[in-house]
Amino acid sequence: MSQSTDGLYVENVLADKINSRFGDRIKVSYLKPRRIRIDVSKDHVLELARFVRDELGFDHPISVSGVDYPKRSTIEVVYHIGSCSRDEYRSFVLAFAVHLPRDNPVMPTLIPVYRGVEYHEREVFEMLGVVFEGHPRLERLLLPEDWADIPPLLKDFHIKGREE
Amino acid sequence: MATVSEFRFSEFVKSILWLLFWVTLVVSLIVLPIIFIVLFYVPEPIIDGQRINPYLLLTMLTNPQIGAPLIKATMETTFFKVVVLPGFTFAALFATVLIYAERKILAKMQLRVGPYHAGREAFWWANSLGGFLQLIADLLKLLGKEIIVPKGADKPIFLAAPVVLIIASAGLVALIPIAPNWVVADIDVGLLAVFALLGFFPLTALLASYASNSKYPFIGGLRALYQLISYEIPLILSVLGVVILAGTLSLTGIVEAQNPYWFIVLLPIGAVIFFITALAELERIPFDLPEAESEIVAGWLTEYSGMTYGLIQLANYIKMYVLSALFVTLFLGGWSGPQIASSLEIFNVTLITAEEANGMTWFVIKTLGIAILMIIIRGINPRIKIDLLLKTAWGKLIAVAFINVFIAVALLYLGVVTVGA
Amino acid sequence: MQQEDKALKDRVREIPGLQMEGEDRGILTLSVGPQHPGSGHFRLIIKVDGDIIAEALPDPGYVHRGEEKMCEYRNYIQNIPHLERPMIADSCGILYPYVLAVEELLGIQVPERAKYIRVIMAEINRCIFELYWLAIYGIFLGHSTMFMWPMADRELLIDLAEMASGARVTHAYFVPGGVRNDIPDIFVEKATKHVKYFRSRLKEYESIFYANPLFQARTVNVGVLRREDAINLGATGPVLRASGVEHDIRKAEPYDVYDEMDFKVITMKEGDSYARAYVPWLEMYESVEIILQALEKIPNGPVRIKLGPNPKGGVAEVFKRVEAARGELAYYIVSDGNPKPYRVKLSVPSFRELPVMAHLLKGAKLADMPSIYWSMNYWPVEADR
Repeated sequence: MSQSTDGLYVENVLADKINSRFGDRIKVSYLKPRRIRIDVSKDHVLELARFVRDELGFDHPISVSGVDYPKRSTIEVVYHIGSCSRDEYRSFVLAFAVHLPRDNPVMPTLIPVYRGVEYHEREVFEMLGVVFEGHPRLERLLLPEDWADIPPLLKDFHIKGREE
Repeated sequence: MATVSEFRFSEFVKSILWLLFWVTLVVSLIVLPIIFIVLFYVPEPIIDGQRINPYLLLTMLTNPQIGAPLIKATMETTFFKVVVLPGFTFAALFATVLIYAERKILAKMQLRVGPYHAGREAFWWANSLGGFLQLIADLLKLLGKEIIVPKGADKPIFLAAPVVLIIASAGLVALIPIAPNWVVADIDVGLLAVFALLGFFPLTALLASYASNSKYPFIGGLRALYQLISYEIPLILSVLGVVILAGTLSLTGIVEAQNPYWFIVLLPIGAVIFFITALAELERIPFDLPEAESEIVAGWLTEYSGMTYGLIQLANYIKMYVLSALFVTLFLGGWSGPQIASSLEIFNVTLITAEEANGMTWFVIKTLGIAILMIIIRGINPRIKIDLLLKTAWGKLIAVAFINVFIAVALLYLGVVTVGA
Repeated sequence: MQQEDKALKDRVREIPGLQMEGEDRGILTLSVGPQHPGSGHFRLIIKVDGDIIAEALPDPGYVHRGEEKMCEYRNYIQNIPHLERPMIADSCGILYPYVLAVEELLGIQVPERAKYIRVIMAEINRCIFELYWLAIYGIFLGHSTMFMWPMADRELLIDLAEMASGARVTHAYFVPGGVRNDIPDIFVEKATKHVKYFRSRLKEYESIFYANPLFQARTVNVGVLRREDAINLGATGPVLRASGVEHDIRKAEPYDVYDEMDFKVITMKEGDSYARAYVPWLEMYESVEIILQALEKIPNGPVRIKLGPNPKGGVAEVFKRVEAARGELAYYIVSDGNPKPYRVKLSVPSFRELPVMAHLLKGAKLADMPSIYWSMNYWPVEADR
């Protein structure tokens, strides 16, 4: 059973599977009860996603978030994936994070693997400026058409009247 | 002129006296001479063997005992029949009662109260009948609104469409018999005339939507056209069985032919088809596609405001009365029923015989029953989709109507019923 | 424009059942716009060929308020009122994962009574939202009784919510550390009475709504979503469960006291609009069961752990998810040790239904559009955040 009472057994098994397949192309960032985060570079993210979906059974995309770290000059794009088909992984959420340089955030899109991330990636594009190569329709989604400012979720953007 | 008027009793009395003075002046100098000049040239009517001259007329008006034959004679004129009973006033009153019944019954079905406040005081003893004056309130409100004609709309046709609707509905009212001698137009081919007049409605819907010069009425008008035309054919076919069994196209003849069995017993399928197609002709739920609120705002009557809207709704409810009355006439035996009413007479002159009064009562009861059935169906059902609508009309209903015709012919040839029953 | 049309026509030719006669048949672009009685604050750009939808492009963003950016300017407690606004009809559902995540971040344990109250209020809110959704489905289909009955029954549950939190819709009742205030003494007895009456009313919905042949004609076999597509597109909530996937966060990853409650996960295999309308009705029965069980077992005790004015956690990140009325709602909170969060990401079920909506509308008839669109449980304000 995947309860946290018997330690992080299943999480470790999962991390070992991924590690044995990818070696040093990925790095397991943390292992918490039912949450595993893997850091991967943008060149290997498609392969990792395919492996995770087909071999491990994590097939239900939950969300795509972009986080801006100006101090490290990176933008992180974090994909959270859940599992609907494997009972032992039903309560798990696998997160893989792609670190992108802040001045040129470009990465391949994961639509070929998970069709449901299409609108999430569009939102990350318009909120943080990350370009997803291969996305069929990378354009404004939530912001108004006449938005002329920088992408709003960057830390450089301040809400008018509420300076930090 | 003072901007704020104060009430002074002397001013009030003065204005009333002034009014009386002017009325007397105008009547005696203008109105009365005109009457006498007209009456000089018009031949005097003969009632009960007596020549009525103006002085006898005025005496009769003041003394009802002598005036009773006059009232009876008035009731037999065509004018009375067209305007009051069974003509426009009767239909309008029926429509009024129907509107109130619809709002109340629908409200009760939906756990609401419906119209409640207008007219409460008169019904302090029955809480659930409050609000019967709501229609008057709505009418006054509609009268006070501006009639907006959209820009680019075809003004003559736009304003003429509601009027044509009322004309067509009123024409239908003229053909319905409510009691043995009480029908405005007793023609031999009454049923054919009904169908001819029913053909007006798709035309008017199309004209109204086209004249509005706007996208949503256009879509609504096309949908109304599809629906109304598609459902006219099963309507006519379902009645064919009745005509075969009755042997006549006249509506009074059909009612008299339903003796002793009503046609709904002999031709139940036809009755059901007629009811369904009547709902479609009325554009009521479940067939209210032309007015689908959540999709096309209000369909072909979107652009109508104020009294034009009121006229269209009045025409709709009169049409509802007419189609319910038609159902009653064709399938439920019209005015026949056990004798429960007595005659209406004043001062030993019978205005309405017992038989006729009984017929009228039963007719009203039956028509109200069918109309209430239509209202209940409205409460239960959602709206039908357009492809299902057209498939049902052209496929299933026409096929079942033909089966109904075969049953009628079979009944005739097997000698179960004879022509004219 | 010509090229785009031609490319679209080529794609359209592959849709089964869609026949185009002649090359010059144009594709009409309709905008089921934000000011339409059938859409809410949301625009669907639909490209129609005749009567069949060739492509549907959702265009959200009319009520975007920048919730996520606003969260970075307020501390954890101040974030609660504005985070509730994207989904006011189910306000406990959208706050629940936030308070759970903040509690994990700050490392506090909530008292037992607060957990039970939170479960009860979350289930009441689930029923409130499902009834509202059914009512608007009635409007879309032109069924006025289907609009009136759920709204009337909803009033009973809203009364309960008002008794507990003081507001009818926007409760702002959940706070990190428990609930804002205790429920009054008569709550347990009134809630039992209201909820039992509500259950008897639910039984009546079957014959007038679900067994109605006209309702079935409009929703059976309309917008069929297959199981693989549902999972891969990221569908969630009743939409996912109506396609045969047994995935409910209350059972998969139980939070608060859901592991002590006894209820079923409702699934149906067909995946059409009728199943998507039927599943919420069955789920309301299960909610009633949960509420009654929780009302019996609720212990006494405190209901809130008061935090200081500026609570802060360490450098960590948390991902918490909850089964709201519409599906799986998740929060991803990154904290850097300050009282204000570094990044808050809301993953709302309505936003995840957008690709499902686009996928299902392609190849459907235009008259089916309201039925498919509303069965997606889409709430425009929540999707825009």
